[in-house]
Amino acid sequence: MSATWGPPAHPPGRCPPPDPAPGGPEPGRPEPGGGPSRADLAARQSALVAALVAGGPPPAGVDPSRLAATRRALLRKRAGEAAKEWPLLAAALGDAEWARTFAELRDGHEPVGALREGWEVARAVRDRGGLDTGAARELADRERRLRYDGRGAPVPRLRTRLGRLLRPRPTPRNT
Amino acid sequence: MAVAVAVAVAAERERPRRAGPVPAVAGLGLAWRPEIAGVVAAADLGFTEVIAEALVPAGPPRGVAELRERGVPVVPHGVRLSLGGADPLDPARVAHLAACADALDAPLVSEHVAFVRAGGREAGHLLPLPRTRETLDVLVANVVHLQGELDVPLSLEPIATLLDWPEDEFSEGEFLTRLLDRTGALLLLDVANIHANAVNRGQDAQAVLDTFPLDRIAYVHVAGGGRHPDDPGGPYHDTHTAAVGDDVLTLLGHLVDRLPASPAVMLERDGHYPPAARLHAELDVLRAAAS
Repeated sequence: MSATWGPPAHPPGRCPPPDPAPGGPEPGRPEPGGGPSRADLAARQSALVAALVAGGPPPAGVDPSRLAATRRALLRKRAGEAAKEWPLLAAALGDAEWARTFAELRDGHEPVGALREGWEVARAVRDRGGLDTGAARELADRERRLRYDGRGAPVPRLRTRLGRLLRPRPTPRNT
Repeated sequence: MAVAVAVAVAAERERPRRAGPVPAVAGLGLAWRPEIAGVVAAADLGFTEVIAEALVPAGPPRGVAELRERGVPVVPHGVRLSLGGADPLDPARVAHLAACADALDAPLVSEHVAFVRAGGREAGHLLPLPRTRETLDVLVANVVHLQGELDVPLSLEPIATLLDWPEDEFSEGEFLTRLLDRTGALLLLDVANIHANAVNRGQDAQAVLDTFPLDRIAYVHVAGGGRHPDDPGGPYHDTHTAAVGDDVLTLLGHLVDRLPASPAVMLERDGHYPPAARLHAELDVLRAAAS
């Protein structure tokens, strides 16, 4: 029963489409003194995100040990979210090994949502022969219902869609 | 003369438009999460909060809808707008937050002083902004734009961070004061974040808190955290997965002593949920500490 020990888990959102180029007047009044441009701010922010989720180098002047601690905390948070989507997989490995395996496999990869991240880990652990019966069934069940190409959101397989068409659907209920 | 007019026009455009009385949330809150919906429903709460990105405005979760029917105010709490991002705000995310406020008839909405994506990548995490004049200009522009799309006041929350930027020109208190002065936004003060940052920066949390614009508080967050067991000498993590510690309670008491009236206080819990009785007991402790 180790705690998540990451930053607070927030529900995953979706990556928005690329934004249009900035334009139009800015309502904020620039303060005297200027400073680096908005482009510089964008470059600094990009460098920090790349260092955290894409294996980029630490941005100049940022404490590398604190950057590493942030990266580890973020991986722990993502591991916790993926464990909720893949409970049998996480249980098969146990808390400590789940966190270690997840970090090993997902460090340097952008967060793509708990379902996909767990899927990547499940396939990798399967290929090593590390799934127990329950975790293997969890993965097989997902692979049977959804098609996941490793690049985009998993989509229902044709027979899953046909099955939904042929079966009366229960009234949707919000949870 | 023309310069004076231009300055006056600019000042008018940026004048705090909602700098009136701090709005109507009061008492004790517990942030709504599906896992603890029963506790939120059973507790005697003055208000609650939902993660905006988890909400479908047309069909809020039953527990949230029932709280609204009972007249409990619900505050949409955004976590992914990236208000301090150098990229322009995503219009769909802005519209979603406004729709959440409308659907819940919310007294206000809240978001963070942070960025969460850059260069086409999602961080999946609230990241700190360089506290510079340039960042302030970007942030103010984004906040003013968001305020223009909202029918209710906006409250801004400073984050917990393990990182700081070398180019920081302002303390957090100075940065926030300038931000709120220029936008009229309110303050969502997370005393656990102040505690975490002070510990990790080697600062005195009470002295830091005293520099924040406390007269702009809309409500207060508290949460538990700690050091990771694998790194006991490492930084303090604001995990929201533990009970609120004595240090944070002491800081809350210090805040209450500084305010003319009891603030609205919300407990955030995001994992390792304890049995309901322990959460109720924790709420009782907070109720006593906040009054």
